[in-house]
Amino acid sequence: MVLLVALLAVISLGVGPVRMSPLKVLEALFGGGDDVHQVIVRQIRLPRAILAVAIGGILGLSGAALQGLLRNPLASPSLFGAPQAAAFGAVLVIALGLADVRSYALPAAAIAMAFLSVFALLAVAGRNAGLLILILAGLAISSLAGAATALAMNLSSNPFVALEIAFWLLGSLEDRSFRHVMLALPFIAIGAAVLMSQRSALRALSLGEETAQSLGVNVGSLRLIVILGVAFGVGGAVAVTGSIGFIGLIAPHLMRPLVGYDPARLLVPSALAGAALLTAADIAVRVIPSTSDIKVGVLTSLIGVPFFLYLIMRERRALGGGVG
Amino acid sequence: MAVAPAHAAALPRVASINACTDQLLVALADPAQILGLGPYARDNARWGGSADAHRYPRLSGEAEDVLVLRPDIVVASSFTKRATRDLLKAHGETLVAFDIAQSLDESKAQIRKMGEITRHPDRAEAEVARIDAAIARTRQFVARKRYRVLPVSRRGWVSGGRSLMSSLLAEVGLSNAAGELGLQFGGFASLEAILKLRPDFIVVSSDSDFAEDEGRAFLMHPALDHFYPPSKRLVVPERLTVCGGPAVADALDRIVSEIRRAEREAGGKEDD
Repeated sequence: MVLLVALLAVISLGVGPVRMSPLKVLEALFGGGDDVHQVIVRQIRLPRAILAVAIGGILGLSGAALQGLLRNPLASPSLFGAPQAAAFGAVLVIALGLADVRSYALPAAAIAMAFLSVFALLAVAGRNAGLLILILAGLAISSLAGAATALAMNLSSNPFVALEIAFWLLGSLEDRSFRHVMLALPFIAIGAAVLMSQRSALRALSLGEETAQSLGVNVGSLRLIVILGVAFGVGGAVAVTGSIGFIGLIAPHLMRPLVGYDPARLLVPSALAGAALLTAADIAVRVIPSTSDIKVGVLTSLIGVPFFLYLIMRERRALGGGVG
Repeated sequence: MAVAPAHAAALPRVASINACTDQLLVALADPAQILGLGPYARDNARWGGSADAHRYPRLSGEAEDVLVLRPDIVVASSFTKRATRDLLKAHGETLVAFDIAQSLDESKAQIRKMGEITRHPDRAEAEVARIDAAIARTRQFVARKRYRVLPVSRRGWVSGGRSLMSSLLAEVGLSNAAGELGLQFGGFASLEAILKLRPDFIVVSSDSDFAEDEGRAFLMHPALDHFYPPSKRLVVPERLTVCGGPAVADALDRIVSEIRRAEREAGGKEDD
């Protein structure tokens, strides 16, 4: 998996609107060759590849952690409105026009909103909520975040805000710089560290809440810590790319047949799978011929939604049981 | 508010619900003729005369408040919402729609058109003469060479060959490199494509270092900064080019002075 991610990252340096031979790309990466090529590879494509790996990774990790926490294979940040809420936080900053979008105000607002949304979800749905309740509450929260985003858009004095936000909500890694990397990476690292620290607690939880408690796991605080981790990771990611959905849902499922159902062992492979997925998707949007570039968030949703429907079909029996 | 002073009674009273018609109207009409201006009239980033706009009622851009004012003529853009235009017409308002000016000639034609609407053709001719004077001044200026320039706006939007910006650049003797990107009317160009194109200068609307959104952050990308530091950027404020009103005269002067500055800065480095 590590090799695959590294390979995809290297390929991602090689694709873009300007055609360059692989040799030229490598030369430019290490500071040789044409000035233009050097800048293109090192200042446009390299930060993009780094962001794709880091953000894909944190989305996969968050998905795996949430699925472990809720003991539910359909859990993912995007299904429960966290990225939408984070996007609202970021949009609020843009719409108010108070801070530079390259400042830490953006991730801070996104993280705060992401935290609020996941927290609200768990507060509304309760401790051992069934799938149906979680999904309904998640739907309500993402609708609320969407409406709040539209409201911020209407009330803004920046006349370009509608277009900006439309692009934002599609999610994209285009033309990001190292400033964006510096903006997102610290928060992603914090989120990842927080989630990884809860591995053994998540494993204990997979045996059931009571067993976990008897093993000395404080389920209440575990819940809070995981929410915090997801909020940091997703908030930091959304602040620079806008919302990119469904990576967190798909990645753990791809890895589960390989590493089994232990949520602790699932975390790292899911992060790698997420990184590979987003990098591959980001390569695809640059390779697919189109007049204007396709946004990567659109592609992940196009792939993610059918996958989600397939999951629902597979889980139909369990779902039906929950209702009846 | 809707009642005009007696001396202006003979002249038509006009309401504008579009930012560009606002500019034309305020430039040509008597203050008493102006019943209201559109919602963006007070935005000083997009109009040099926005301070004047506070003297007039601010309209929402929708049909409702216009109907209450009962103007003789409503001026709007041909891109104003169809529903708004239809509603106004259905209630017997005389609606005149202005296209988006895509060249200097179209700008002049629009000024004359507004001159007729407000019944001040003399003022319109004076504004047109001011533009012609700016064109004449511009023609005396000869740049060292026919530079290839690329007008880049937020998010990498490039004004194409058929745009007011292109027409202004051509008047100054510059060529718009957008054509080489295959963009006729305009479109988005990626950073990589802009760097590969290597125009001599890029035309931007502001030299501020504040990125209010990702669209503006595009213009401050380190890769773009590397090849286009301030000395390679021609700064032409948006308020001079966003509408084809009287401001285009100032836009021409501005482009010339920016080229002079850029040549001076480049010359200082190369020759001395």
